[in-house]
Amino acid sequence: MRRGKTWVVFLILFLVIVSLFYLYPSIKYYSLSDEEKDELKSEDPQELVNLEKKAIKLGLDLKGGMHVVLQVDKSKLSPAESKDAVDRALEIIRNRVDQFGVTEPVIQKQGKDRLIVELPGLEDVDRAQDLIGKTAQLEFKLLPSPEVTTELIVQIDKLLSGKTEKETPEEEIKEKKEEKKEKPEKKVEDIFATDVDTTEDIFEETYEEEEEFFSERQFSSLLEPSRSFFFYVPMEYKLKVDQILDKPGVKKIIPSDLEFAWATKTEWLRGIEYQKLYLLKKKVEFSGKYLTDAEPRYDQFRKPEVNFKLTKRGGRKFALLTGANIKKPLAITLDGRVESAPIIQSKIRDQGVITMGTGSTYENARDLSIVLRAGALPAPVKIIENRVIGPSLGKDSIRKGIMSALIGFSIVLIFMFIYYRLSGLIADFALFFNLFFVIAAMAALRATLTMPGIAGLILIIGMSVDANVLIFERIREELRTGKTVRASIDAGYRRALLTIVDSHVTTLITALVLFQFGTGPIKGFAVSLSLGVVISLFTAVVITKSIFDIRKQYKSLSI
Amino acid sequence: MMQILPKTNIDFVGRRKYGFTISAVLIVFGILAFVMIFLGRANLGIDFAGGTMIQGNFEKPIKVGEIRKALKEIGYGDAEIKELKRERPNSFLIRVKASVEEITTVGENILAKLKSTFPDNPFHKDSMDEVGPVVGKILQRQARLAVILAFVGILIYIWIRFDFRFGVAATVTTFHDVLVVLGLMFIFQKEITLLVVTALLTLAGYSLTDTVVVFDRIRENLRLFRKKGDFPSIINASINEVLSRTVITSTTTLLVVLTLFILGGEVIHDFAFALILGIIVGTYSSVFVASPIIVEWEKKSPKRFK
Repeated sequence: MRRGKTWVVFLILFLVIVSLFYLYPSIKYYSLSDEEKDELKSEDPQELVNLEKKAIKLGLDLKGGMHVVLQVDKSKLSPAESKDAVDRALEIIRNRVDQFGVTEPVIQKQGKDRLIVELPGLEDVDRAQDLIGKTAQLEFKLLPSPEVTTELIVQIDKLLSGKTEKETPEEEIKEKKEEKKEKPEKKVEDIFATDVDTTEDIFEETYEEEEEFFSERQFSSLLEPSRSFFFYVPMEYKLKVDQILDKPGVKKIIPSDLEFAWATKTEWLRGIEYQKLYLLKKKVEFSGKYLTDAEPRYDQFRKPEVNFKLTKRGGRKFALLTGANIKKPLAITLDGRVESAPIIQSKIRDQGVITMGTGSTYENARDLSIVLRAGALPAPVKIIENRVIGPSLGKDSIRKGIMSALIGFSIVLIFMFIYYRLSGLIADFALFFNLFFVIAAMAALRATLTMPGIAGLILIIGMSVDANVLIFERIREELRTGKTVRASIDAGYRRALLTIVDSHVTTLITALVLFQFGTGPIKGFAVSLSLGVVISLFTAVVITKSIFDIRKQYKSLSI
Repeated sequence: MMQILPKTNIDFVGRRKYGFTISAVLIVFGILAFVMIFLGRANLGIDFAGGTMIQGNFEKPIKVGEIRKALKEIGYGDAEIKELKRERPNSFLIRVKASVEEITTVGENILAKLKSTFPDNPFHKDSMDEVGPVVGKILQRQARLAVILAFVGILIYIWIRFDFRFGVAATVTTFHDVLVVLGLMFIFQKEITLLVVTALLTLAGYSLTDTVVVFDRIRENLRLFRKKGDFPSIINASINEVLSRTVITSTTTLLVVLTLFILGGEVIHDFAFALILGIIVGTYSSVFVASPIIVEWEKKSPKRFK
């Protein structure tokens, strides 16, 4: 009996060595402090990358980062275009993400028209979202004349105050128009002379406006008129403005060749957050497809901008457009939002500059260059799922997970020892090996540890003692019938085995299904649960049996 | 030898009527929950229903009412706001079940509003989940498929391992357990999230394990006492023989899940809760549901297992 079991001892030793081999990088990597990591990075960057690769990966929920699912909108594509639209979108997004510089991003196709983008450890979520979610459809559009804009706003006000034109006497309309025009009229002269930045002495007037105005000027009262060709909308009114512009009646009176468009960014003026609203001509005068290169840089006032180059054909087209509209504003829109609307100063040929919106940083210019260089997506993408986990929450989860695991583990160890005495200690030993092997197997399989994964580990602590409980209860029964200790042990193991296998299979079935259908975190749970169940068959049966077999004869058994 | 339970001889079979009554009541709730889910009236988490969930903490104490008032002003009056007492101080969970197409705007609006309404009490976002209606539908389909497949897998296994009567009893018991836990989650007003579905599937496996252990012993004893002893008392003896194992395993599992429930944090709180319910129900059902079904069946049409 004893000699026959020596191979088990060797097997266990072998497995322990293999496990340590696989666990070593994880232990080393996660015991490094941040400073030590930085040190290693400067000394031997390849070594750090290797360690990182071989260490157990932490899921997004523990590490922090973002998980985004994008849907490619193929509805406007021709059948030929839509064939590889998703693949092309994937390539372009991969290109952008690579340039953005995230370690180990995951970009995958899911289903027919969805893309999964996972950016671990990423903290600046808004930036990342801009980068992957943008179609990067760069378009240049002209603006209608200020008179048209003013007229439209008056019309909208009228519509909202319930007075349609027929009900209102002609003169009154005129009067109102005059009144409204007064300010914008002045604007007209200024617009083309100065650049965008005009915020002085605009606001006082608005605040002086009287109550009665509001009912009649429901729309324009939400807008801070600017001396330029756009409006400042305080963020708290943005929703209202959107609602008004979305009303069917309002939609109807907006001329079909015009559209309202928001600026890409908000800006802070005198402690209030604003977003600019533009009225643009719908016609796309020029588009980003003629771009050959884009680079960020600073202009002479240290303001960031993006310098772009055009193809020959594009250059000719652009020269025509700019030449015909000198001293007029040209809106540069990105995915339907206005990045900026500089005044055309002179004819531009094959090389131009995109002025960045107010409040933009050099980083914004860099990101815009990245998306312009990587190219526009073949079709718009929509973010249909977005999960962001901050790094601190991840750390909290790890701490809580380890804490519950340690306490749960201790409780079970103590319980088994108290209840089954020395035999319980043997089961504890097996339990320890179970956890040890499971974690090593996760490292070897390059599995990702998630919070539910940790929960799975904790669950198997409780569940995998089941095998030992089944065996020990059986041994006790056999002892009660008066069998010798040796015979009882052997019978206990033999008779419990079938039931143990049964009980493991049932858990495995559900774990495998979960693995098949689960998303990231749940897959982690399925992995740790199924590994734990399979491995406990070895640790709880083979290892404990070989310990019992160390002695051939027993006078009594501590069970 | 330490024993929680001395050698017992409890007449479980004789008390099966109580078990059947309790189970019947609980199953009614389970079916109710199931129907509600199908009608979309149940408390589905944003994984399935779509919506936005933000978790984070304020720097200073703040009342739920103040947050609600702020959110109401931007049209999210029906947002669910929960203070998370187990997390860092002043932690809150804000959940809006809005099935909007532009999912990223809801979170943006809420964060902007909190920023402007409480300028000197900044809110730090820990996590944000935004799920669009399309994804909700996909996840619902996946969850349904997972549940069906798990049950098919379990059925195939039972079919291989047991004969017809034991198979049916084990299947009914497993269904019973999942339905009862679902019903209890409904009564406790817990949200049905992806993790809760995961817990339901896990406990399906767990409860089947408990049932299998009892059935294995019943079959063993039926072989041993083929000729002597009346059927119910063999079943009763079998349950009593494995009772200490049932109780001990349930105890250890329950202990670890309890630590998870108490210490594991918000992310897996409901998951751990469902598992706790599952372990209790699974243990109960292996004794009071699975075996009595066999007894009833034998009484109606005696077969005497081989």
